[in-house]
Amino acid sequence: MSLTPDGPAAPAGGRSPVGRDGKPIVVALLGNPNTGKSTLFSALAGIPTRIGNYPGVTVEEKVGRYTHRGQAIELVDLPGTYSLVAKSPDEQVAVDVLRGRLAGVPIPDCVIVVADATNLERNLYLATQALGLGLPTVIALTLSDVADAKGIRIDVGELGRRLGCPVIRVATPAGVGIEPLGDAILAAIQSPRQPLQGLDPHLAGVDSGREPAAREAIARYGWIEELLAGVVQRQPPAGRSVGERIDDLLTDRLWGTLAFAATMLAMFSSIFWLATPLMDGISAIMDAVSGLVAGMLPEGAIRSLLVDGVLAGVAGVVVFVPQIAMLFLFVALLEGCGYLSRAAFLMDRLLCGVGLGGKSFIPLLSSFACAIPGIMAARTIENRRDRLLTILVAPLMSCSARLPVYLLLCGAFVPNIPVGFSWLRLPAVVLVGMYAVGVVAAALVALILSRTIFRGPPQPFVMELPGWRWPQWRVVLERVREAVWSFLQNAGTLIVAVSIVIWALASYPHSESAIDAEVAAVRGQLVARLERLPGDGADHAEAAEELAALDTDAGLAALRRGAAQRQSLLGRMGRLVEPVVRPLGWDWRLGCAAIASFPAREVVLGTLAVIYNLGDIDPGEEEGGSMLVRRLRAATWDGTNRKVFTLPTALSIMVFFALCAQCASTLVVIGRETNSWLWPAVTFTYMTLLAWLAAFATYQVGTWLGG
Amino acid sequence: MSLEQVAIGATARVADVSGTDAVSLRLLEMGLTPGVRVRVVSTAPLGGPLELELRGYRLSIRRHEAARVAIAN
Repeated sequence: MSLTPDGPAAPAGGRSPVGRDGKPIVVALLGNPNTGKSTLFSALAGIPTRIGNYPGVTVEEKVGRYTHRGQAIELVDLPGTYSLVAKSPDEQVAVDVLRGRLAGVPIPDCVIVVADATNLERNLYLATQALGLGLPTVIALTLSDVADAKGIRIDVGELGRRLGCPVIRVATPAGVGIEPLGDAILAAIQSPRQPLQGLDPHLAGVDSGREPAAREAIARYGWIEELLAGVVQRQPPAGRSVGERIDDLLTDRLWGTLAFAATMLAMFSSIFWLATPLMDGISAIMDAVSGLVAGMLPEGAIRSLLVDGVLAGVAGVVVFVPQIAMLFLFVALLEGCGYLSRAAFLMDRLLCGVGLGGKSFIPLLSSFACAIPGIMAARTIENRRDRLLTILVAPLMSCSARLPVYLLLCGAFVPNIPVGFSWLRLPAVVLVGMYAVGVVAAALVALILSRTIFRGPPQPFVMELPGWRWPQWRVVLERVREAVWSFLQNAGTLIVAVSIVIWALASYPHSESAIDAEVAAVRGQLVARLERLPGDGADHAEAAEELAALDTDAGLAALRRGAAQRQSLLGRMGRLVEPVVRPLGWDWRLGCAAIASFPAREVVLGTLAVIYNLGDIDPGEEEGGSMLVRRLRAATWDGTNRKVFTLPTALSIMVFFALCAQCASTLVVIGRETNSWLWPAVTFTYMTLLAWLAAFATYQVGTWLGG
Repeated sequence: MSLEQVAIGATARVADVSGTDAVSLRLLEMGLTPGVRVRVVSTAPLGGPLELELRGYRLSIRRHEAARVAIAN
């Protein structure tokens, strides 16, 4: 941690003239958050050519390239920071890059310090620190059009003279100042400059007993006030500005909270309404492609690999794209206009109670739709600890993939009886209860983690509430594009790989003779039962119907598929885990279904269908759904007449799926977002343990109450 | 008296920020230095953070952070 940012940067002497041998010059973009730095990046370099992480840290490195007057320029966007006295990994990266301390990252040839013209005093804090490094520097005065409108007059020439570096007014949507900024960079790299002096006299005026860093901060503001005297003129505004009035309303205790609730409701209902048809469309297209591929290839291992492994995996990836795109569109719009920080401001107290912060709200709320965009939205939390904690608990929110599981089991096994009121039925109460289980678990886990492994000094919530402004469509679209692309590229490939592994486990070993033997055994049992039962009973009719269904081509194919899966590695794993899942009231087939649904929990319905010898089922189809329900109701423990699916078992399955980490995509995205495989492993372990314990308690208490 | 006790809509002058940790340094770096004038704009519900206006911009800090900021009478 550097406490004194002043003093020349590492090897200042001996720098060869830059930009002459055809190599691009490296220009770093430094600035406070919310100063229009991203907008300036897009205006200069367009779409970034590279987005990655700095070596060894989880701090995003964004690099773009462009040419100015024939000179190739590599633009490096440094993390937004308020100071060069680093207090967070992001700030440390900015400091290390500027001082040439980051291995493999060269000292920039020139620094553009982005300074918000509407808020020059605080922005010059970082700017004067950067000027103290002695690197070639240009100051870009962003939002100068907004400053004009607010009646803030800045004498740019005089400011440049006092700071000893060129100051260029830019107004990004209009493209004002982009050319002069490029010229100033080319001029700056040719003429070495000395570190800016002037802090020392002010240091003398501050109590020498204080911490050096605190002394410097106080002295620096004194110096800035002196630097700006006579440079900035504020015309007293005629009354309060529209932005200030909006702000007063939207951060008001009552109206602000109501407006916030309305915004969130509108945002999430529109994500639901807009993304659902798109997701259905993608699923339909993927089904059509699968059908096409299946029709073109002969039945066999290759077809099965392509259709059930690869295409099913790809479908499982692309289906998330609409939700990710929609959510990031909203988040970028809210962030662009300045509302995101107001939302964090309003929700901070509530989330503070469980050891999180206001900025965790949007990621957690998004996770009710899907944890993947939610975890990605946690990027807006600058604070590492809060961000990690939010990512770890986000998958506990009941996402839309859990809903089919809840609906099926609630519909089949929870008695449809009124609870207190005639309109309030028990299945609905259980359904709401499942959502509550997730929220309560998330609150408890956050509380426990923040008091144990994430214990540390209190995390400051010192957050700027940026001025209201119109979102820049370029920045908004870039956020959406980048979110979708990073998901497809990094997470997508891994999710497909995991799907292929699960397919292989469910498909091999594959022995036709063993399958024939099992089919014959099942049919034999059914025939024997039919002969045992009295000829006029309902049971007899049902068994006869079952035998007739089995003797059709579809029935036989379904039975063969089930037999193949039971004999596969997955089936063996199911039997292996039976001792573990038996206390939850599950038989080995449920254990098997739980393992098979590791890539995505919604797969559990399909797996249950296969494993209980049903053909492909479409849960949306009334006929197929009720067929699955009938099969599940009829299922018995191996070798007994005891039913597998009782109310306690159904509840224990629901609780397990509410809390477990059965979603490979989520784990892969956690790995990508934290840049480590430790955190997905931690998430999987704690969620699986929690799910098991809660399901165990549910089953045992349920059985005790029921018995 | 600290910034936490200033009424909504009122303006105060900062006297000092106590503490020597990263939080107090961040408060100073954000411009809450001795002598600066601060207006308390609003507060979030349920005893949430304060919204302040200083040096031409708006800043939000939690109550226990505001309690570290002593104001001049």
